[in-house]
Amino acid sequence: MRIPWRQTLMSYTFLAPALILLAVFTFYPLVYGAYLGFTEYTGARFAQGLGPKFTGLDNFRTLAGDPLFHTAIWNSVRYLLVVPVLQLASLAVAVLVNKELPGMTWFRAAYYVPVVTSVSLAAVMFEWVFNREGVLNWVLTSLHLTTPQKAIGWLNSETWAFFAVMLVTFWRGFGYYMVLYLAGLQTIPQELEEAAVLDGASPWQRFWRVTVPLMRPTILLCTLLSTIAALRVLEEVLVLTNGGPLNSTYTALMYVYAKAFQGFDFNYGLASAAGLVIAVVALLISAVNFRLFRTDDAAEGS
Amino acid sequence: MKRTLTALTLALGLSAVTSAQAQTTVTFWTWYLSPKFDGYIKDTIAAFEKANPDIKVNWADKQDSMVQDFISSVNLGNAPDVVNLNIDETQKAAQNGFLRAASDLTSAATLKATFYPQSLANFTSGGKVYAYPWYGWLNEGVLLYNPDLFKKAGLTRAPRTTSELIADAKIVKDKTGAYAWVPALKDPNTASFLGYFYAEGLPIYAADGKAAFDSPAHAALLGQFVDLYKGGYVPEDAVRREAFQLATELYAQNRVAMIIGGPQALTRIKDTNPNLYASTVVTGAPLGKANVQTGGSMALVVPTASKNPAAAAKLAAYFTNNANQLAFAKVVPVVPTTVGAQSSTQFKTTSSDPVAKATALVGASGRYINPGYKAPGNSDDLYKNFNDNIEAALLGKKTPQQALTDSVTYWNANMKK
Repeated sequence: MRIPWRQTLMSYTFLAPALILLAVFTFYPLVYGAYLGFTEYTGARFAQGLGPKFTGLDNFRTLAGDPLFHTAIWNSVRYLLVVPVLQLASLAVAVLVNKELPGMTWFRAAYYVPVVTSVSLAAVMFEWVFNREGVLNWVLTSLHLTTPQKAIGWLNSETWAFFAVMLVTFWRGFGYYMVLYLAGLQTIPQELEEAAVLDGASPWQRFWRVTVPLMRPTILLCTLLSTIAALRVLEEVLVLTNGGPLNSTYTALMYVYAKAFQGFDFNYGLASAAGLVIAVVALLISAVNFRLFRTDDAAEGS
Repeated sequence: MKRTLTALTLALGLSAVTSAQAQTTVTFWTWYLSPKFDGYIKDTIAAFEKANPDIKVNWADKQDSMVQDFISSVNLGNAPDVVNLNIDETQKAAQNGFLRAASDLTSAATLKATFYPQSLANFTSGGKVYAYPWYGWLNEGVLLYNPDLFKKAGLTRAPRTTSELIADAKIVKDKTGAYAWVPALKDPNTASFLGYFYAEGLPIYAADGKAAFDSPAHAALLGQFVDLYKGGYVPEDAVRREAFQLATELYAQNRVAMIIGGPQALTRIKDTNPNLYASTVVTGAPLGKANVQTGGSMALVVPTASKNPAAAAKLAAYFTNNANQLAFAKVVPVVPTTVGAQSSTQFKTTSSDPVAKATALVGASGRYINPGYKAPGNSDDLYKNFNDNIEAALLGKKTPQQALTDSVTYWNANMKK
């Protein structure tokens, strides 16, 4: 069928504002950032008014030989451990609060509060929790699981700092994904649940056989968002540990941030190259997610 | 009559337009001074504008994001005209070409007549002075101590040398449970531990400009701090937080017995723990074997991208002149960097008030302000490597000697001239 040109023109007219905004704020920075990855563009060049100078793969060679970048990438990949835990927990809680019981609205709101809490405030709060003389050690001592002499400085420990920061990411992301899952759960037709009850399915069977399959698109969306967020984690690390101790919490985005924005010695070229590597890692992991959580329709289509 | 009035109105209007056009607007950025010092800054700007009716000043105070905002503003083509930076950032900005040399904007004779030679040397890079030195502080300027904790520890006087300080650290912690003091082990974005080498008379660079802080004497000094850290005589958080800030916080809670450094901590203690402030004893700080002070200073710089360098230089010179630095030292106990401050009677008054006492102790000592090392080219990377190695030594991953040798090797391979 041939679409009249007037209609086509009208469609593009309506699309134009969004396309222009996307072009200016998303596509152009993306393409320019990718180009910068292949250039030398340091603070000194910038201050002299000189533009980026094409240097081919030099920045990628520098990254390949930089142990700090290797540590940063490895930490970011390790940080993905938070994703399955976060997704399972928020889905489970979404199922729990998706009931019309007294006080449920309050619970939904309470779980969402960390999402809107500023990082600096969260950092101060978690400093109190993780300090050697903090709340966590007090709780552990009160439960006789440790003694004041054996108390751990969680943020100063090479072993524990990573998990301590991860817990903050979990705490901050939990409510957000719970709300998304809650929205997904409310689209599941009530009849299906009722039919499963009539067939004698237990709550556990209903969850795995009815809820989870129907929630696959939402699970895919949340897992993708959470994966990308975990690869981009920066703020909580900056304010809680600044990448330490011994770079055990130094993430890939911290590397980009340090190279691009931390001082007058910046190197936009190297930072962009590092950004490109992270983007490729994110794309690969997203592809795996798509494969794992594809819906039956999509699987049949393929 | 009507015609005359119209002509007069037009003439007045035109003259107003002309004078508005002739007025230069200068953008001025300070660092962490608002809101506490709004009164002083605004009054000084008003006095400057009165003396220079052709210049209008637009003031903004920047905090955490100062350097990033500076770079972004250059990127966007609206760079400020006068910017407040510290010694380290000025060196980095100058090395990368972000600043106009103050010695190109103001005669060398005027700069020499106004500021201490060391203050000018602190901001000199490649033979040119890049800043108008502003207020400063001495790292070993004063020692503030909690007399109750001293009494509990059985100490009768404050330590006078680094060795005494290290010995006292153990006594205080063992007898009171409080820490004696918080050393600057690895303050973020600087290489603060280098200051201890300088204080002990150990070189940072060799004569050829290469890094040289890995002799056995350097390692032995670092080893003393490692022992303190491992023995629990230093707060654990000192490896990831700025020492002076941590010390001020813990002192007000009676968890640290001494603060070594500028008396500016006193103003905060006065707010958080007035009783402790009243009993705090102020005395001279211990010095290292070299018997020298270390310290820092702020400055006003004019960016290369400033569109009004002449007016900017006038404002920077005005804010940093002797009278205005002395006036600032009355508001907060900072150390002026002007030669004239040495002879000022302002610092000769005696008082029992801790702030006044501390001000009297250090106010006229600006000539000693010296960080002890200059930022090397590519310092962001080098400082990170140095701090990582210091941390590795503190956490027992490397011996002090190995940590310093590794760092010196890295510096000499990556330092830009």
